[in-house]
Amino acid sequence: MHKVLIVDDSPTLRKMVRASLAGVAADLLEAATGLEAIEQLALSPIQLIVLDLNMPDMHGIDVMKFVRGHRNYKDVPIIVLTTRNDEASRRTAAEAGATTYLTKPFLPQTLATAARSLLEHV
Amino acid sequence: MSEGFFDGFLDDYFAECEEHLTGARRALLALESSIGDVAAERPVIDELFRYFHSLKGISAMVELRPAEELAHHLEDYLRALRQREVAVTPVGIEVLEQGIQRLGAVIGAHRSKQTPPSTDDLAARIASLAALPGGLAAPAQSASAAASSGERFWTCTFVPTRELMERGIGVDVIRKKLAEVGRIVDAAPRVAPDGTIAFAFTVATTTDDREALDELMADGIVLELAGGAATDGGLLPVAQPLEGTHFGSVAPSHVVRVDMTRLDELIQSVGDLVISRARLVDSLSRIERHVPSAEWRAIQENTLAIDRQLRMLREKIMRVRLVPIGEIFRRMPFVVRDLARESGRKVTLELRGQSTEIDKYLIERMMDPVVHLVRNAVSHGIEPAEERIAKGKPPDGTITLSASTVGEVFTIEVMDDGHGIDAAAVIAQARAVGLPIPLDPSDPQALLALICAPGFSTTADADRVSGRGVGMAVVKSTVEELSGTIRLESTPGVGTRFFIDLPLTLAITDALIGRVGGESFAVPQGAVREVIEIASADVRALEQNEVVPYRGASLPIVRLGKLLGIAEEPVERFHAFVIGTGSAAVGLAVHRVVGHREIVVRAITDPLVKVAGISGATDLGDGRVVLILDPVLIVRLVCDRAARSVGDASTWGRMLA
Repeated sequence: MHKVLIVDDSPTLRKMVRASLAGVAADLLEAATGLEAIEQLALSPIQLIVLDLNMPDMHGIDVMKFVRGHRNYKDVPIIVLTTRNDEASRRTAAEAGATTYLTKPFLPQTLATAARSLLEHV
Repeated sequence: MSEGFFDGFLDDYFAECEEHLTGARRALLALESSIGDVAAERPVIDELFRYFHSLKGISAMVELRPAEELAHHLEDYLRALRQREVAVTPVGIEVLEQGIQRLGAVIGAHRSKQTPPSTDDLAARIASLAALPGGLAAPAQSASAAASSGERFWTCTFVPTRELMERGIGVDVIRKKLAEVGRIVDAAPRVAPDGTIAFAFTVATTTDDREALDELMADGIVLELAGGAATDGGLLPVAQPLEGTHFGSVAPSHVVRVDMTRLDELIQSVGDLVISRARLVDSLSRIERHVPSAEWRAIQENTLAIDRQLRMLREKIMRVRLVPIGEIFRRMPFVVRDLARESGRKVTLELRGQSTEIDKYLIERMMDPVVHLVRNAVSHGIEPAEERIAKGKPPDGTITLSASTVGEVFTIEVMDDGHGIDAAAVIAQARAVGLPIPLDPSDPQALLALICAPGFSTTADADRVSGRGVGMAVVKSTVEELSGTIRLESTPGVGTRFFIDLPLTLAITDALIGRVGGESFAVPQGAVREVIEIASADVRALEQNEVVPYRGASLPIVRLGKLLGIAEEPVERFHAFVIGTGSAAVGLAVHRVVGHREIVVRAITDPLVKVAGISGATDLGDGRVVLILDPVLIVRLVCDRAARSVGDASTWGRMLA
């Protein structure tokens, strides 16, 4: 059973992501901050992270750098889900280790498709 | 397309928007008070930025373009502030404030399915501000690096485990605990050589509270004084402290949002349960003599247990509806500041009891009345600075807004240290508009009645300051609609205090049941000061009124039966509810007070059935519908010699039928 971690400081958005992924993974975990995301990662095996960038305590980019720098988690696919839609942000995210870059507002199907294809390759 | 997919999240969206807007208002106040202090500005700008960023993101998801775009512009401006391209100015603060207001209006319009107000003008203003030069080149000294006197730095390491998680101890809980002990300067994940993940916090604190620190250690935190030898116990840092990291306001987790209508349904169900229980008690009382006494005792014990549990359930559900009054209070600094600026007065606002809780419904209804009282205090209460200095008062006026709860009564108090209410001017104005003049003009309650009378306005009301709010008449009627009362204390030259007393919750209440003729009536217990027994022989006629001796003075009595046209046999002794205090006390006489009940208030909202003096109806459980009296209103109407508007006997008769 695949576990997906949804990281966003907005409860509304977490709920929307959860609804979009309802048919994709049975086990959806949530974290409201970057630190909480890393804690979740440390405590349970996670196959996919859906990650917001702008969060209060730890920026999504730094979460990605941490995940990519840790030998146990460096290969976990990460979907970045952000409102930033400029080339510089995309490049920064890619350099930090994003697998897929999606922008908000997102279509539920787009997110579901991206998640499904990443999970197939896990 | 996602057409409609996210529509189900609109309630979440509105609730979250409210939180962000409230947070943004609070942050903006903090920003205003720290203008020029670059180190203090920075974390607040970051916080504001995040609120607008979140609002932008979720507004985009629900396709509310005007909100998304406006939030985007505000975010741009804050980015410019953050990157020190422009400096924080009072004009900038004002624009941010308008931005927050307009965002609220746009979101509110979406909620009520109306056309949102245009945001173009504001967007243009924000854009021009963001483009203004005037940034300061000097980089800010990191505020967090500078330890204030007496602070020591602790390095706190927390290793999350499943066991701790099961006990509810996670990194977020730890962070909140640390924030209680001191100021979190840095927080970052670390990895040990074996791959174990830990979180390292640096906390600056002055505390020597061993207990607080020991408690942290019990939660699996390793504490070490920083700044000495190696303190990281072999953990390798992998993340640098983030720029702009701060933990000013951590949103509470473990919070569930619930739609108000669901809570209303819950209350409704508890109400039904209260009535069913009353029916059960009624049925049981009829079979009592057929049941062996031992069996009966068991039944009694069970009904008592149900009674107690039901009361607890009711109280707990009521608690769920309570929210801190701070929601209203938080907007007041803006109101006061704007008005003070417009009217050229200097005013300090003090807020007290912001965490006092009140029913959500009451909060929403009380917003406008409280704003009006505060406005009045600024524009009519506080004198201009020169006048204050001449009177030997400090040049800055003080308005105190406080909230408190005593028993089931919630009190909001608005106090100013201005010149008090000018009784002579009020009476002159009342005479000019043809209002009846009270016998005792020095009685503050009589003055209050005049001020709150529809059509009353002092000459000062003509200024624009109070032209836009609700009038005192609306304040009073709102309070009364909510089964509350309003009181006034005013001392010439010293100041004015308004008190608004409200019941904590509305739906279920304790009541005393009184009988007149063959009819029963419920009187909310909160309104009754005392129940007294009166001997008919003690009643004296005084002019057109009846009075009885009461605590060394005389108490006017109003006979409910006479008022309602219900025929009564003359009796030797009868009961009266004492309503109101001091000179305003009146006894509402009934034949007998027959008991105390928990009643479910069904409000009468149909204007064709609504009668002044009756606040609702209830079902006592024995199948009878009983009217709930609004004793305060009845007594007032009687005292105003307007008894006819209480409803004539035929109206009442129709309702009882």
